[in-house]
Amino acid sequence: MGNAPATPAARRFPPWLLIAVGAAVIAATYLYLVVWRPESLVGGAGVGPAALIALVGYLLGSVLIIAGAMVRMPTSTVTLLPIAIAINIVAGQINNMVGLPLYLDSIGTVLVGVLAGPAAGAATGALSNVIWGISISPASLPFSTTQVVIGLLAGLFARYGWTRRILTAVIAGAVTGVAAAVVSGPISAFVFGGANASAGRSAIVAIFQALGIDTLGAAILQGLTVDPLDKAIAFLVAIVILRALPMRFSQRFPFARTHSVFSPRTRSVLRGGARPAEGEGVLASPDPRSQGAGATRGDARDADGPAEGGRS
Amino acid sequence: MSSSLTFYQAGEGWIHRLNPVTKLAFVVSVTVAAFGAEDLWWPAALFVLLEVPGALAAGVFGRFVKLVFGFFAPFLVILFLIQGLTFPDPGTVLAEFGPLAVKTEGLLFAGTTALRLLVMVGAFILLLLTTHPGTLMTAMSQAGLPPKIAYVVSATLQIIPAFQERANAILQAQQARGFDIGAGGALARGRRLIPLMGPLLLGALTEVENRSLAMESRAFGASVHPTAYTIVPDSTAQRAARWIMILLAIAAIVLNTLGVL
Repeated sequence: MGNAPATPAARRFPPWLLIAVGAAVIAATYLYLVVWRPESLVGGAGVGPAALIALVGYLLGSVLIIAGAMVRMPTSTVTLLPIAIAINIVAGQINNMVGLPLYLDSIGTVLVGVLAGPAAGAATGALSNVIWGISISPASLPFSTTQVVIGLLAGLFARYGWTRRILTAVIAGAVTGVAAAVVSGPISAFVFGGANASAGRSAIVAIFQALGIDTLGAAILQGLTVDPLDKAIAFLVAIVILRALPMRFSQRFPFARTHSVFSPRTRSVLRGGARPAEGEGVLASPDPRSQGAGATRGDARDADGPAEGGRS
Repeated sequence: MSSSLTFYQAGEGWIHRLNPVTKLAFVVSVTVAAFGAEDLWWPAALFVLLEVPGALAAGVFGRFVKLVFGFFAPFLVILFLIQGLTFPDPGTVLAEFGPLAVKTEGLLFAGTTALRLLVMVGAFILLLLTTHPGTLMTAMSQAGLPPKIAYVVSATLQIIPAFQERANAILQAQQARGFDIGAGGALARGRRLIPLMGPLLLGALTEVENRSLAMESRAFGASVHPTAYTIVPDSTAQRAARWIMILLAIAAIVLNTLGVL
């Protein structure tokens, strides 16, 4: 009864507004905790209000982003999400089983970010840790914001063409890893006291603390030792997998199609397939005189895709 | 890998019959209260006075203790080692071992953090032990959770066990060909993940297309709110209880900021 107005309200606002507000809440929480850092943050006996602010601010932001991203998500993307989230969780568990000092729990997030855009990637990441939290390990729930950032950045890097080549994709992954480390710092320091389930990673925190760095700094530095490598691997695996799949798979996602997020080969095939209809329309209207010119232009288009943009 | 995904333990007690949203409100408010107050004894009291009796009343105490401490024990040791020995802020030094120093403040910090996490994890496990994930999702949808999100959550919970089975099958198939996951350094182990992950991921993604075709043909994503097959019972008393719990959590924070608690 009390929630009846929720759906119309969600419709009245454009979805990007919820995403923007969610991102703003997360950014404000982060700035408050890390940059502005009030004196009473690490107070007297315990940790003060920092842990609660980190938990509430991050989770609220993640929930807003999930709500905003899911409103107009097409069914093809919605069906991809459970698979991507299952990939995150199962890969994370296989990683723990094999005993690597990594996480490997963001491959699915990167997959969705690259295929369906930043908002969908962010929602996948957030839901992934929420579901992992309510099913197997409650400790991963507070880290959902880290995954939001990973999904968001994966989508943005794909949008600007970084995923077309393996090398740039790996660099994008490493950059994402730096962001992930910086964002997860407050959670791991204030909520978990710098400790985590892996003895190796906790030892790194202890070493930094023994060198005189505070818990937050030590947690961020520990993240910087693992996250860039981990996210570079996640990007690499995601791109390799997506390239191994038949092309019609990625073409079903409007984001991947319009921004041609994969190899240049995909792009030229796409343009060759999508444009001729209108290109021929333009060419057909003038008299046969221009036919030779049209043919040359067609050849140029095959040689390099983007050059064909300038038509007169 | 073989661990089942759901903690749910069937039962008939009143805690089992509560609306899952009420239990979720309990988890949220207890967690907020535990993290909101600074006193060391406050989260301990929440755990002993609310969660332990809750687990006893629901008849899930044995598994509750096993799960909470199974999850918690290694973490607790690591936390006390880190903050007990290398607490970076100045404080009263109790003992010194070269660069390491045991400080009262460090132990207090570790203790508070541990107790807060104990409350959070305990509340969650209590919810999951007494609530079937399916019922939880139905109740959440009734409370206004958008159907797309409900679908993603419940579909994931169904896919993961199938996924784990497939991962195990792939693992066994590769082991039958002489594949040894344990041996070697980190790099060798990482390389050995490829024959496990490749078939798993490719197989899963090829299912997406069929799924979305099937769902679209059944009008998934239509703007009409679907009706529910099972109705999870709810009552005015529970609705009131949810609000009271949330208000109590806020009150705990306010009292703490004012210095009363």
